[in-house]
Amino acid sequence: MAGRAIWKGYIHLGSIAVPAKLHAAVKEERIQFHLLHSRDHVKLKQQMVCAYEKVPVPMEEQTRGFELEDGQYILVEPAELEQAEPEESRIIEVHEFVKTEQIDAVFFERAYYLEPDIPLKGYNALVGALREMDAEGICTWTMRKRSYIGALQSSGKILRLNALRYADEVISARSLELPNIPLSEKELKIGSDLINQLTAPFQPRKFENEHQKKLQGLIDKKARGEKIAILRPRRLKPTASDKLLQTLEASLKRVA
Amino acid sequence: MKLSSGGGNETAAQGIWSGTISFSLVAIPVQLVKAVEPGRVSFRMLHGKDYSPLLRRMFCPREEKMVPPDEIIRGYEIGPDKYIVLTDEELESVSPERSRTIEIIEFIDMKDVDSIYYDHPYYLVPSKGGEKAYSLLAEVMRRANKAGLAKFVLGEREYLVAVKSMEGALSLITLHYSEEILPDEEIAPQDGKIESEEKSRMKKIIKEMTGDFTPEKYADERRKKIVKLLRKKLKEKATVEAPAVEEEEGGGPVDLIAVLEESMRKVKKSR
Repeated sequence: MAGRAIWKGYIHLGSIAVPAKLHAAVKEERIQFHLLHSRDHVKLKQQMVCAYEKVPVPMEEQTRGFELEDGQYILVEPAELEQAEPEESRIIEVHEFVKTEQIDAVFFERAYYLEPDIPLKGYNALVGALREMDAEGICTWTMRKRSYIGALQSSGKILRLNALRYADEVISARSLELPNIPLSEKELKIGSDLINQLTAPFQPRKFENEHQKKLQGLIDKKARGEKIAILRPRRLKPTASDKLLQTLEASLKRVA
Repeated sequence: MKLSSGGGNETAAQGIWSGTISFSLVAIPVQLVKAVEPGRVSFRMLHGKDYSPLLRRMFCPREEKMVPPDEIIRGYEIGPDKYIVLTDEELESVSPERSRTIEIIEFIDMKDVDSIYYDHPYYLVPSKGGEKAYSLLAEVMRRANKAGLAKFVLGEREYLVAVKSMEGALSLITLHYSEEILPDEEIAPQDGKIESEEKSRMKKIIKEMTGDFTPEKYADERRKKIVKLLRKKLKEKATVEAPAVEEEEGGGPVDLIAVLEESMRKVKKSR
């Protein structure tokens, strides 16, 4: 079930306002663990400790600081932070439209569904228009005292809103300073042939979270007092650089 | 959901995980590093008394003392204060073939992946000796606009991931399982009829408003306001100074107590 609406308002594009409600699109249900003390199996709590005095610091003695340089801070009061909160608004403001393929996966933070509100006319037309133009609307909105940037897209009969990350939250691949390794055309050709051979359609339903079931099985086994066999993780021997071409050729032979 | 290997803190330099990525017979040693940094202006929690930064530590309420990382274990709650304890080795035993290896099962067209599946992005960087095979995988996937699909286990979780090429690097996006995607039938319009006149009007607006994706244009309003506030306070010289202590807590399994003690020695020496 898509659950209750978490936000209600209007999508603004140009002079048009389309009423809609926001719903979560994804729900994760995973086995939860607690951190325990190995000696007495007592559940651990997080505690803030003074780095200098090495003593626990209670809430009322904690304060917030912005670090300028080593050990230099500007103190900021909670009331001052409250003033920086964005103004509440009921509008998803679309600023521009871009081609879907322009937004890299690295930007996507969280997906929401937009449920249509009465009247449906604008909503349905927008769904159709976005689909036919393969476009997404870059928009901003405010929710839960935070300002969001997002991409408005169509999916089947509905509109979806993907919260995106701000540009300065994304670490650029260039900053990794990877070495530039020359590759021969032959290596590239065989490598390309190999991945083409191994290409299949994306069928997410094929992949179940089997691990979750196995993990539950392990917990049940331990609860019954059975011994758990420890299996060593498999480690692969890295392919040596001077054996790369040879390994690619052997791989290709295997799949072709 | 972010990948997490337990109670430890990770830094980009150190890597969150190290192991091997493989496709067919080729195996490449790699490290997993973060690709995003939460951009909210980050504040340090300080001790009001001496303005010394606070460190997040695990605390045993019964012994009333801090617990070093090597005394922290994972437990599954089966009743009030009753836990099944699981060691890292036992967790790794659940899927031993996947805990140190990202094995690409197949390649897919990246454009076939609906963005609703995207969860959290990371980069893979080559470890020593893996640079060439790494470059090759990145380059051939870039040319074909393909991504490798793999499953791998970190900590107590198994992730379905897409590994793709991004500006010469390999980026790894964890994907949601399809069972985690909520159905949208209930919220879909009862009547999905599209009026062509209205649609044409929308298309006209979209066309007029079409541009290139330039995320740099959009800044977090709240962050902007906070930065302004900080500038103002800086001008007023409203700063405080903490006694010198070692930088941020390091990554996960380092002996934090030893680091702390070392920094304490430094503090004493400098006085």
